[in-house]
Amino acid sequence: MKLRYSKKTTTLFFLAPALLLVFFFYLLPVVLTIWISFTNLYNWRIDLAFQFIGLENYRNLIHFIMNDPDVSKVAKTTIAFTAMTLVVNVLGGLILAILTFLLEEKISLTFRLLWLLPRMTPIAVFGLLWYYFFYGSEHGTFNSILLKLGLIEEPISWGTEPSLQPWASWLIIVYVNGLVGVSFGMIIFYSVFKSIPRELLIAAQVDGASTLHIVRHILIPMARWHLVFVTVWQLLSLLTTYPHLFVLVEWGVVDKDYGTTWALYVFLTAFSRTVNYQALAAAAAVFLVIIGIILGLVILRIMRFEEMIQPVRGDL
Amino acid sequence: MASIASRILRALRGESDRADQPLARGRIAAIILAVLILASLPVVSSYIFLVVTSFANTIVFTPFIEFAVNWTVDNYVKFFQGKLSPAAGQVYSTTDIVMFIVNTLIVALGVTLVVLITSVPAGYAISRIGFRGRGALMKLLILLHAFPGVALIIAVYFIYIYMRSPLFQAFEYMASKGLLTDEVLASFDIAYSFFFVIVARASLEIPMSIWLMKGFFDKVPWEFEWAAIVDGASRFTAFRKAVLPLVKPGIAALAIFAFLAGWEDLIYVFVFLPQMTLATFIHNQLSGGSLETTYLPIVAAAATLYLLPTILFFVITQRLLLEAASGGFKG
Repeated sequence: MKLRYSKKTTTLFFLAPALLLVFFFYLLPVVLTIWISFTNLYNWRIDLAFQFIGLENYRNLIHFIMNDPDVSKVAKTTIAFTAMTLVVNVLGGLILAILTFLLEEKISLTFRLLWLLPRMTPIAVFGLLWYYFFYGSEHGTFNSILLKLGLIEEPISWGTEPSLQPWASWLIIVYVNGLVGVSFGMIIFYSVFKSIPRELLIAAQVDGASTLHIVRHILIPMARWHLVFVTVWQLLSLLTTYPHLFVLVEWGVVDKDYGTTWALYVFLTAFSRTVNYQALAAAAAVFLVIIGIILGLVILRIMRFEEMIQPVRGDL
Repeated sequence: MASIASRILRALRGESDRADQPLARGRIAAIILAVLILASLPVVSSYIFLVVTSFANTIVFTPFIEFAVNWTVDNYVKFFQGKLSPAAGQVYSTTDIVMFIVNTLIVALGVTLVVLITSVPAGYAISRIGFRGRGALMKLLILLHAFPGVALIIAVYFIYIYMRSPLFQAFEYMASKGLLTDEVLASFDIAYSFFFVIVARASLEIPMSIWLMKGFFDKVPWEFEWAAIVDGASRFTAFRKAVLPLVKPGIAALAIFAFLAGWEDLIYVFVFLPQMTLATFIHNQLSGGSLETTYLPIVAAAATLYLLPTILFFVITQRLLLEAASGGFKG
């Protein structure tokens, strides 16, 4: 049959708006980030974006990691935070999915929604909850409970008390980010469990399998592949996102260095210091871009993406 | 609530309907429930404490209240009056405060609009048209979905100021020739910031949104469009008249998701928007310099107001949210 418009025109019409934004806010910025990392751009003096200084920024960055105590704290924090939060998010997500899957649907839904809430809560509000929670007086939840139990005599500013660092800061950022991150694994694993035929599970129970058996021999093996997927996905987002860390650090809930990961360091170096050194920040961001691309490709492999691309219905 | 409680009781007694029986019953169900409640307690109580504090004259983030508390709605009144602490006078006018809320709304609605305009047609194309590079585009979208755009914000800000100067020179030139008044010139400045923050923030949502919309279009039987096209409609008309009405629930879900994304944002409005939103207002109250004079219960009142739409949408769209939050990945 004859169509009024060619396939090319039609396709372009539908895709153009999205492609335009993808170009301007993903592809071009990747190139620009690399560009800026070779220049001397600071304090947004645009003229300096054309002044190339070669690998100087990268050299400085490595020098800072080795010698600048603040930056080496950031490097340590990145590793500690990513490792711990990754475990919390993946295992926590798995446990939440298993527990909610075992319960009756209505109760299960309530808990799944509840654990999704932190992800949907405005960042400023979620940060505020933990600002108050760890508040350094008997008005804050954490201190008031410890005081009540007699474990401490005086309220403590947990995130900033020097003798407690780095661990107090690390545990706070891991906890707060874990609450946000854990729902991703929960949702993925839950949908895997939901895809298991109900009869199979009931049959196993009738044959005498205990709840623990079902968890160990059916649920966890079923989620094996997705466990890898969630781990890589979370690894990528933990290394590269920072909004919650930003408020915790800027509001003084945690120590400014032991609460800062590499991604937040990039942001603060570019936007939030007295002298903002964008070129250095861009060099630091290039590492994130590389990590992002590598792990993204790994994710595509894990998803066995080729098999997911099915021919379209309705092609003319 | 009553029905949940009675269901819990029934579940504990092992009395659920046979057909839809939960896997864990009796004592095991009770233990699981206890574990879940215990794990959720800090989160749930902190939300409750926030609301409680917004009605108190001091921070009440504890069940053990061993200090004097006056219960009051003053925090909300003072917030809207712009009197941000009992000691300080007028910090903002009521108009300012209302504008913070309006600004937040503009960003959220703008993000919604941009996400819809871009993702709905793109999702359709990927679902229905076998164009060259379709597989590659799908791969790219997954890659971009996994790749957090926040890491690119330096370059995006560079584009923001780089595009700004020629644009403004053009406008200033027009103003100097008397073609524009200075007031119009000033509002261009504001409009540019809003436009940019909206488009930049929407872009973060686009890979996931396209993917989500593709999923909704995949579920629409192809015969509907086919019938329209056989009748002589163009692909565009078929899309508009035959397919779009069938994916309305999907579009609604996407709109809500995009709205919440724009509503919750802090980083982008902090970087790109000189005008304050509720997020940057709270941030300003708590960061560095102003902390000495900040009256925290009023901040709690602002945060409670800020949280309201999120909770509202949350309750309305429960299941859709759970589906959408996984980014459209099924199993």
